[in-house]
Amino acid sequence: MKRTCQIIIALCLPLLLCGPVRAQHSGPYVGAFIGGNALMDAESSDDLGSFSLKFDPALQGSAVLGWDFEPGNPVGEGRIELEYTRRSNPLDKVKFAEGSFKGGGNVTTDSLLLNFFGVFRDDRPWAPYVGVGIGAARIEASDLQVTGQPMSNDSNFVFAYQLGIGVDFALTKRLNLDLGYRFFGSTKPRFAETNGHKFAMDYFSHSAVLGLRVGF
Amino acid sequence: MINLFWSGLLVALLLSGCGWDGTATRNNDFTPLTSIEIVAISSTIAAHTSTRLSVKGNFSGLYTRDITDQATWSSDSPSVAGFTTLTSPSRVTGLVPGAAILTATVGSITTNFNLTVSPATIATMTITPANPSIAMGLNTQFAASGTFSDSTTQDLTFDAAWSSSAPDTATVSDSAGTKGFAQAMAVGSATISATFDGISGTTLLTVTEAVLQSLTVSPASTSILSLSSTNFQATGHYSDGSTADITSQAAWASSRADVATIAGGAATTLSQGTSSIRATLDGISGTSNLKVTGGNLTGITLSPANPRLVKDTTGRMTASGSFSNGTSRDITDAVEWTLANTAIANVTTPGGNLAWLNALAVTPASAPVAITAKSGTITASTNLTVTAPLLQSITIFPSSLELTDKTGARFSVTAGFNDGTTQDVTANTEWTSSAGTIASVANSGLAKGRVSAVAAGSATINAAYGGRTASAVVTVRTRNIQSLAISAASSVVVSGNQVKYTATANYSDGTSADVTEDSTWTIDKPNVAVLADSQNQPGQIVAVDSGSAILTAGFNGQTQTVTVTVP
Repeated sequence: MKRTCQIIIALCLPLLLCGPVRAQHSGPYVGAFIGGNALMDAESSDDLGSFSLKFDPALQGSAVLGWDFEPGNPVGEGRIELEYTRRSNPLDKVKFAEGSFKGGGNVTTDSLLLNFFGVFRDDRPWAPYVGVGIGAARIEASDLQVTGQPMSNDSNFVFAYQLGIGVDFALTKRLNLDLGYRFFGSTKPRFAETNGHKFAMDYFSHSAVLGLRVGF
Repeated sequence: MINLFWSGLLVALLLSGCGWDGTATRNNDFTPLTSIEIVAISSTIAAHTSTRLSVKGNFSGLYTRDITDQATWSSDSPSVAGFTTLTSPSRVTGLVPGAAILTATVGSITTNFNLTVSPATIATMTITPANPSIAMGLNTQFAASGTFSDSTTQDLTFDAAWSSSAPDTATVSDSAGTKGFAQAMAVGSATISATFDGISGTTLLTVTEAVLQSLTVSPASTSILSLSSTNFQATGHYSDGSTADITSQAAWASSRADVATIAGGAATTLSQGTSSIRATLDGISGTSNLKVTGGNLTGITLSPANPRLVKDTTGRMTASGSFSNGTSRDITDAVEWTLANTAIANVTTPGGNLAWLNALAVTPASAPVAITAKSGTITASTNLTVTAPLLQSITIFPSSLELTDKTGARFSVTAGFNDGTTQDVTANTEWTSSAGTIASVANSGLAKGRVSAVAAGSATINAAYGGRTASAVVTVRTRNIQSLAISAASSVVVSGNQVKYTATANYSDGTSADVTEDSTWTIDKPNVAVLADSQNQPGQIVAVDSGSAILTAGFNGQTQTVTVTVP
């Protein structure tokens, strides 16, 4: 998984080398995104020791409501948006001291983030962007199982953040196709185990998203 | 620039989110335990002996794990075999010959084990390891094995009674849980015995001298200048917990002989770089990191150039090194001095950055003798001419001095000869004071002619050379010191450069005096900067490596500090 992760990073980094240029649409917009996300192997621990959770990749969906800054805006060219995203990754395996065991259930995240994107526009119909987002997430350990036995069924609110890069394609003056990469992370959620202990897990995910934004 | 910022931020955060591949330490207690099994070394034990049982749990057929600590034990015939050892609940003891069904229970799961207690009696006892030797401070675990009347053997380490014939030499534990565990206390030998049912086994434990277990080299890391030296110390840590300085016994090696050489713990640095200094004794090694700074020597300049000396006089020679990092410093003590004709003159190096050139005989006409200073492949030469003119006069300078008590100053003597030449003969002059309780004068080495003001009053300083004399008056006044100040051209010194600091005493009457040579100088971080030569160059420091160090001057009850910064 680490190698896949590094390849994603290497592929996306050249986008950062694009030069800054002028903005097109300004004003409010709405959008919807769909994509795939890979939730990283999560180090987890409770008072009995450490273990890890391995997840399957899954689809994710987002809805955004934002504002494109007008060209020449003193804060820079880009946009600010409120983003709601839902991710739900099936638990594939759980690695304990004895080895890896089949998992079950899902870890589902509903996040609400305030994103800031800097866009590098010129006369071309496409423009690269980079951005950050901060907000909160509700992460739910939904019927997590190990070898068919219940492990946890709990939820937790945590601080969440996101880094994003991508490319906007201006289909029309008001319609943009957005192809992007998102790195999403959070503080460690803590979930109650069925045996009374509580475990904390890492939460980092990598996503590739495709979306449409409509300005008005 | 903004792109670089984003790139760095993204890479740092993204790589941190690439998943965990560490080692899990938590057991899987979610998968249910479905069966257990009692594991024993043997299903038959002799009466009055014991054996430890264990429980292996099977979790849904997916994995097994030792869960002895979770089991509770019972026997259907406690008069035949019972769990009577409180400190080891899984240890079963055969009490009388017969059969017993032992039961282990974990949660709601139970399993049985059929144990037979035989009537066999012990015939012989053997202790292993046999006749071991261990070094003082170390320990070893003995095991006792009994051979029984039915030709079976059984581990009796737990059931035997252990003892040592010489507990001052070696102890052996008879406590449950540590039975048979021996510790070597002192050099000698002890008989270790294990007794069961009246039968004993013995072995001789020999305790040898403590052995070296680890070696540390100090300082663990250090920075020093090229063409200098430093001492390392090797400390041995022995099996009995003692330590000893083994610097002279250890074999020393430098990983980079072109950077530094080492012998007997004394390292001599050659060129800039790093080297690992290793000390080895009895196969045990320790290392230290040596960083050599200050550049590589590129040239040597001798001073004075082409000196002229009168026969039977002495002159000071100095070698200044130029280094690859653009710095220069006094390397008089680091070079090898040679003269082409030692019957004409020789060089003595009493220590520090001091070299005396001694004129022994007159050089033939137009044939000066070459003086050479060498370091590695770098050499510098100059020509010495020794003459023998007749002395005509000597002059002392200055003709008088006014000093504040506890300070000092130098007189010098210049001799005039019949060939019209003059020479500073301060080092060859005999110096005396008419009143040493007021002003004393040094009469040896580099300090010759240096006057120290002791108490208020006047004294006459007399200089005698070649049968001629000269004198000067020293007036000493008492003043109250108010403060001490340190000054230098710059407190930022490049590694390898030598810089002179001046200490000035300020007095209550508004006067001040240079007390650089009268002050005591110290510096707190030798890895950053060192005193150039505390004996012959007071107040001078040489920068070593990046950092900050505090230079302190102390004089007449006052101290002052200055920060030396090496970029």
